[in-house]
Amino acid sequence: MHRSPMHRVVRTAAVTLLATTGVAQAVTLEVTAWKGNDAEPAALPELIERFEAANPDITIDFSYISRSDTDIVLPPRLQGGDAPDVMMADMPLVNIWGNAGLLAPLDKGDWYERLDPAVKAAITGGDEVYIMPLEVIGMGNFVNMGLLREAGVEQAPRTIEELKGTCTALAEAGVNPMIFAGGFSAPLFTIANGLEPDPAAAAELGAEQRTFEDDEAFIAALSLFPELAEAGCFDPEVQAGVDPWSTALAEFKAGNFAMMPQGAWNIRDFSSVDGLDFVFAPIPSANGTGVALDLFGVGWVISSQSENAEAASTFVDFFTDEENLQALLEAESAYSPFVGGASGMAALAAPYDEARAAGASIQFPFGVLHWPKPLESEIFDSLTGYLLDLDQEPGEVLSRWDEIIEDQY
Amino acid sequence: MGNITMGKYRIFLFTVPALLVLGTFFLYPIGLSLRMSFTDFTGVGIANDVGWKNYERIFTRSRYLDALGVTLLFTLIVVTVQTAIGLFFAALLHRLPAVRNLCRAALFLPAMMSFVIVGYVWQFIYSPFDGGLNSLFAAIGLTSWQHNWIGDPDTALYALAFAHVWMFIGYSTAIFLAGYAAIPQELDEAARLEGTSGWQRFRHIEVPLLASSFTINIVLSTIGTLKTFELPFIMTRGGPDGATRTLSLHIIDSLFGKYRFGFASALSIIMLILVVAVTLLQNRVLRAREERVR
Repeated sequence: MHRSPMHRVVRTAAVTLLATTGVAQAVTLEVTAWKGNDAEPAALPELIERFEAANPDITIDFSYISRSDTDIVLPPRLQGGDAPDVMMADMPLVNIWGNAGLLAPLDKGDWYERLDPAVKAAITGGDEVYIMPLEVIGMGNFVNMGLLREAGVEQAPRTIEELKGTCTALAEAGVNPMIFAGGFSAPLFTIANGLEPDPAAAAELGAEQRTFEDDEAFIAALSLFPELAEAGCFDPEVQAGVDPWSTALAEFKAGNFAMMPQGAWNIRDFSSVDGLDFVFAPIPSANGTGVALDLFGVGWVISSQSENAEAASTFVDFFTDEENLQALLEAESAYSPFVGGASGMAALAAPYDEARAAGASIQFPFGVLHWPKPLESEIFDSLTGYLLDLDQEPGEVLSRWDEIIEDQY
Repeated sequence: MGNITMGKYRIFLFTVPALLVLGTFFLYPIGLSLRMSFTDFTGVGIANDVGWKNYERIFTRSRYLDALGVTLLFTLIVVTVQTAIGLFFAALLHRLPAVRNLCRAALFLPAMMSFVIVGYVWQFIYSPFDGGLNSLFAAIGLTSWQHNWIGDPDTALYALAFAHVWMFIGYSTAIFLAGYAAIPQELDEAARLEGTSGWQRFRHIEVPLLASSFTINIVLSTIGTLKTFELPFIMTRGGPDGATRTLSLHIIDSLFGKYRFGFASALSIIMLILVVAVTLLQNRVLRAREERVR
């Protein structure tokens, strides 16, 4: 059968149009995150379901990859041009992947203008923005109020003097006062107290413009360790070897210790323990409010190699909607990264909320890239060493931190 | 003449597949690591040359030299204790043929478990709060023996070494048992007829004739232990304050926590040189010992 050239052109155009429309209707977006599993769901399964219902042309192929595995699994895929379309990332990853040109710049839409200034400053390096922040999560002091009441203390301590008094009362009542593991709890306490007098110093310390060794606030923070030990807060040598991610959590959950500086991501897990009457309070400090140590943790990034850039942007935009984000914040016990945004913090975190409202919040320097990632493990190590030998000079301990900063340049 | 020459060289053709595998999977990666060790590569993107800076940092920062010391001490403890206990069990089982196979399987069992499981199990055994070991001491009235085993830098490395030895003792025992099987029975019978004691037979007949088993045991466990990072990674993360931080752990931390692939490559090259040097030295000494026995 003879067909005219016009017929062929029309047919080809129709097939092309249908094919294009067909592809657009069946986009499968590969998304990876270190939340969304059974242990830390972060409401992602429900949110993905909700997203797919709102966008029937996009299917999400979600994979859970733990944070430590993210370092191992994703770089080869990014380098090899086979990266997932959307990935959960934090600022250390954004710094490396973004500098290597492996992330797509995000549209600075309305969401960017609504960001909290501290978070906005952290994610804005140069002209481009590569990450859409999902949450700001608190790091404070978990306090077992049941045990405090046994010792006649009615309120979570907010100042150093209150902390010492609480420790002494608890010790006299035969209660272990505090988990102060060198691998996390002690560093949180030190960073909170070291930065409290001048939170802006974090950037200068990380940029080699000032040294920790000569920083009076950090020296004072370390000088508190022997005082707290003397007040009966902890046995420094025992705490030096406590694993903050297994033993410490298990001991607090079991009601064997009254206080523990840790992250709010544990609230959900601790709340599931029957009879564990606890609050999440700020880290005790020299001022009257304590310190709310805020961690800008995670966000979404889009691979620059993604062939589904538009669908990926739609997915990321979905989380800029406060209503959608709320489910994640509640599951995470976290705060919105947006000004005036909602909070997912439970009622038991009221003391922490109050400290934030009083302006006593400090950004955790690693989350906003003021301090390089390698410094983190050195802080853990050096404070463990300090707990083992409290006769060391604080300046000597802090000089190890300066050495790591020096190694970055 | 020409054919003879061809035939002489043709046999080398048979080594080509092996050389290809060696070149592709061993020499090329080593060459690549060496090249990368002179860069600031972060795992992605472009690698910039930094000259000898990575090596200079390794030799001017005490923490890396400390890690080298920890690695060598850990290896010395594990190799010595594992070889001695492996020999003890092998000598015992050689004399107990009825239970030999059962005990050999039982000793091998820990080696079949994953490092992660072994690490967590021993972490809870050593826990300062109601850990298995401290609870045992409390139960038998030895509360003064209770200790923060992996939290004290003076005991942490030994505690890890014990867990490592527990895991791999089955291998050492099996190698020594294989050595025992190769000892001619007539020698043992002749010694018995001469009226020698069990200890004399062990000291003057069995130990010398197990020379090749010693070589295999010591070389294999040395290589394995020098490279170890699993148990320190799981049980202590190198702590407290670096007391259990081996060179391998430093490499892993540099790669996947700090994104310093160039620096980690420099550490890997140094570790490679260390492992090769120690192994060559051991081989030389142990082979010479074997020759003397023959």
